[in-house]
Amino acid sequence: MISKQLALDVINYATSTGADFAEIFYEDSTSKVITVENDKVDSVNSSNINGVGLRLLKGTKSVYGSTSDLSQKSLIALADTLAKYFEGKRVLEKITGFTKVPVKRIHKKYTSVFSVPTQDVIDYLKKATSIVKGYSAEVRKSNATMIMKESKIVIFNSDGKTYSDNKEYGRLALQSIAGNEKGIQAKFDGPGAQGGWEFFTNQLNIEELAKKHAEKLILMLHARECPSGKFPVVIGNGWGGVIFHEACGHQLEATSVAKGMSVFSGMKGEKIANECVTAYDDGSIPNEWGSNNLDDEGLKPRKNELIKDGILTGYLVDSFNGRRMNEPGNGCSRRQNYKFEPTSRMSNTYIANGKSTKEEIIAATKLGIYAVSFGGGSVDPSTGDFNFGCDEAYIIKDGKIGEPVRGATLVGNARDILKHIDMVGNDLAFGQGNCGSASGSVPVNVGQPTIRVDEIVVGGRGGSIDEF
Amino acid sequence: MNSKKYFALAKENGIDVCELSLSKDTSLNFEIFKGEVISYSVEFSKGISSRGIFNNKLGASFTEKDDKDTYMFLINAIKDSASLSETLDEAIIFKGSEKYKKKSTFSKKLAAWTVDEKLKICHEIEKKLIAADSRISDVEVMYSDSSSESEIINTYGLHLKSKSNYFTIYASIVVKEGAEIKSYYDLIFDNDPAKIDVDKFVKDIVEAGLRKLHGESIKAGSYKGVLSRNCVSSLLNAALSSAVAESVQKHTSVWEGKLNTKVFSEKLTIYEKPLANNFFYTYFDGEGVATYNKTVIEKGVLKTYFYNLVTAKKDNVASTGNGTKNGSKVGTSFGNIFVKPGRLSEEELIKKIGNGVYISDISGLHAGLDANSGNFSLQAEGFHVVDGKLGSPLTLFTVSGNIFELFNSVIAVGNNLKLLPSATFVPSIAFKGLKISAE
Repeated sequence: MISKQLALDVINYATSTGADFAEIFYEDSTSKVITVENDKVDSVNSSNINGVGLRLLKGTKSVYGSTSDLSQKSLIALADTLAKYFEGKRVLEKITGFTKVPVKRIHKKYTSVFSVPTQDVIDYLKKATSIVKGYSAEVRKSNATMIMKESKIVIFNSDGKTYSDNKEYGRLALQSIAGNEKGIQAKFDGPGAQGGWEFFTNQLNIEELAKKHAEKLILMLHARECPSGKFPVVIGNGWGGVIFHEACGHQLEATSVAKGMSVFSGMKGEKIANECVTAYDDGSIPNEWGSNNLDDEGLKPRKNELIKDGILTGYLVDSFNGRRMNEPGNGCSRRQNYKFEPTSRMSNTYIANGKSTKEEIIAATKLGIYAVSFGGGSVDPSTGDFNFGCDEAYIIKDGKIGEPVRGATLVGNARDILKHIDMVGNDLAFGQGNCGSASGSVPVNVGQPTIRVDEIVVGGRGGSIDEF
Repeated sequence: MNSKKYFALAKENGIDVCELSLSKDTSLNFEIFKGEVISYSVEFSKGISSRGIFNNKLGASFTEKDDKDTYMFLINAIKDSASLSETLDEAIIFKGSEKYKKKSTFSKKLAAWTVDEKLKICHEIEKKLIAADSRISDVEVMYSDSSSESEIINTYGLHLKSKSNYFTIYASIVVKEGAEIKSYYDLIFDNDPAKIDVDKFVKDIVEAGLRKLHGESIKAGSYKGVLSRNCVSSLLNAALSSAVAESVQKHTSVWEGKLNTKVFSEKLTIYEKPLANNFFYTYFDGEGVATYNKTVIEKGVLKTYFYNLVTAKKDNVASTGNGTKNGSKVGTSFGNIFVKPGRLSEEELIKKIGNGVYISDISGLHAGLDANSGNFSLQAEGFHVVDGKLGSPLTLFTVSGNIFELFNSVIAVGNNLKLLPSATFVPSIAFKGLKISAE
C-alpha cells in the first residue's frame, strides 16, 4: 500500500510540468488456481501482483507508467520520467489532501471462495471431472480448474479524490478431450461470477454442467463437419452474444471511435441494425462476471444504451477518449491490472429480449444451422470484418432441429450483419469470457436471447448444406 | 532478495530443495496519431517466483512484492501447494546440465537508442504513410520495446542468468474508396535499430493496403493455394504442439506412436534452434536445462517429441530443454522454429500453382483452430491467383481444413524465410486442397 502523503507528493510532482490531470492506481491482487486432472489434484498455485500505475493527461495526450517498486524513490522517479514528457508550466494547483468518495458495493453479499476450505473446492472439482470421465471411455482427459482472484484497488487523483474497492472473481474452467481412432475433440465450459462460493454451489448445478459437457463432447466427437456457404443461422442465447461483441461492441468503444478508426465513428442517430435490435452494456448488474462497483478511473458503472430499435444511440466512453469526442466518461474505463492504462471496454454487453420464442425462430427457418456453443472471435474495428468460432451446431431443416455438426467459423462485416438480424427471441442469457484488447484482458459477459441472422458466411469443412 | 537467507529459511520450514527465479522487465510504448504522440507509457516490474520440494511434492508461488513478508509468503504458498498436490509426477528441481552454450544477444545498440530517435523514426513513418496516397484515410504508428533479465538460482548451486531486448514498430493504414474500407498493418520486429528501412517499410504497407481495394468474391470450393509466411507460422506452431510429450503421454496428441514415422509431406524439414543467433536465443529452459538445436521433422518424418524433465523421465529419455514453469506445474514450449527453405520465391510459388488463391492473412485462430484435432476454420484475406499471377483481392471468405492433412499436401516450399514475432523462421508454402467458403 502507499500512504496518502506519498500519493499527494507523487501527484503534485507529476503535475508540475503542465498535466491537467493525474491519477494513481494502486492494486494488490492475489490469485489462486486449483486444477484437478481426472481424479487427482494436479496443481495449486498462488500468486500476487502489487504495484502502481500513474497516468498523466494533458488535453488529448496521455502518458502512463507503472512499477512494482512502491518505494518513495521509485514513485517519485516514475513521476519525474512522466512529467518530463510535457515540458510546460504547472496548470493545476497543488492539492493538499484527498476526499474519500464512498463507493457503493453493488454485489449481494457472498462467501469468498478464498475462505472456503481448499479441500471443499477440490471435492467440487473432482465431482465434475469424475462425471465427465465416467461418461464415456472415449473421454481421454478432463481438467477442472477453479480460478479465483481478489483485488484491492485504491485510486488517488488530482481532483483531490480517492476511491477504494475490493473485488473478487471466481471461475470454473472445465476442459476435456475425447478421442477415438478417427479423431480428437476438445470442449471448454467456463462459468464465472462475482458471486462467491454461493454462485458455484447454489446457482450452478455442477452435476448438470459436467453431464452436459460430457454429452456434448462425445456428441461432437461423432458429429459430421459443419457445412459451408452463406445461409441462415440461428444463434443460441448466452454465449451466442459473441456475435454482437465482435460485430458491434468493439466498434462502439471510444478507443477506436474517438480517433475515427471505427466503422461506427460519427454515426450516432443512424440506423446500423435491424429494428428488432436493441442493445446495452451494463456494468452495474449485481454479481455478474463483467460488473464493477466502480470503473478503473473511479466512475460509477451504469446501464449504457448502445442501440435502440436499430438506431445507434451511444458509445462506450472513457474520460480520456471522451475528450476527443466531447463526451464525459460513462463508467466503462477498465484495465487488466495496474500495468495497463485504462480505456473504454465492454462489461456485460447484450442484445435485449425481443418478442419471438426460440421455437418460433427455429420453426421459421427452412434450411440453416442452429449454432449453440462458441469459442470466441475477433474483429478489425476499422473495417468491421469480424469472425467467431462455433464448436457445436445442428442442421435446421424445414423448421426442425436435426443432425449435430461440429466446427465452423462464421464471418461477416459489422456494417452489414446487424441489419441481417431479423428475429430476436425472449430468452436472454449471459456467457462469461475474457476479452483481450488495448488495456489487456478483462472479464466480460456476452449476452443475447436466441436470434436469427438471415444470412452469414459459414466456413465449415462439411461441404454444401444441400448435402445434409 | 537474498537467496542464501531465503534458502536457509525455506530449509527451516521443511523445504530442503528450493529454487528462485527472478525477473526484471522494463518496457516503453507510444502511439502516434495525426502527428502527435497521443499515448506514452513506461513499465518497470520485478517478479519473484519460487519452487520447492516439500514432503516429496513440488510447490510453487509468485509475487511482485519484495519486502519483509515476501520470504514467508513464498514459503507458505509452496507448502500449501505441495501439500495439496496429488500428482504422480516426480518433483524435480534440476541440478544443472554439464555444459551451457551461453552467449549474449542483448543489443547494446537498442539499449543506447534514445527516445528522441525512436520518436523521430515513428513520426517519419507516419508522415510518409499519410502522404503516400489520398485513399489512405487513417494511419496509426505504435512503438514498443522491452528489455528483460532473468535468473534461476537453486539450492544445488545452479545459477543461470539471461538478458534480452527487442523492439516492435507497428504501422497500420485504413484505405477508403467509395464505400469500400480496407485495412493493412505490418511490423518491424528486431533488436537492431540500424536495420530499419523506413522507405521500404512504408512502400510495402501502402502497396499491400491499396492492393486490397476492388475486392471480388470467390466461389466456394477446393483450391490450390499459397499461404503467406504469417499463415504458415500460425498453422505450423499449432501442428507442432502435437509433439509435446505430455500430450502424447496423456493420449491427447494425434502424434502418439508416430515417432520416426511420416507425419508431414517429405518436402518439409523443420528444426528447433533455441541457440540461433537472434533475440529468441535461449541457452537454458524454464527448468534450467541446457537447450540445443534439433531436427523435429526430417523430410516429413517426426524425429523427436518436446520434453521437460518430468515427461522425459516417464519416457526414460533426456529432457530436450523445452521445459517451462507454470507455477508448480512444469509445462513445455518450443521456439525458434526453422523451416528448411525450398528453391522457389513467393512469386515462383504463385506461378507454380497457376490458378487458385493466395492467402495473405488468417484470423480467429483462438476459436477457429483446434490444435488437438488439427481442424481449422478461419477468416481469411487474400487474392485470386490467375495464370500464375496475383489477381484481384478477395472479399470476406473462410479457409478450412485440417493442419495435419494440410502439411501433408505441400506442393512446394518457398525460400522467402523471415523471422516472425511468433518465434518462427518460415517461408511461404504452396498447398493443394484448401477449402474455401464464401458468399
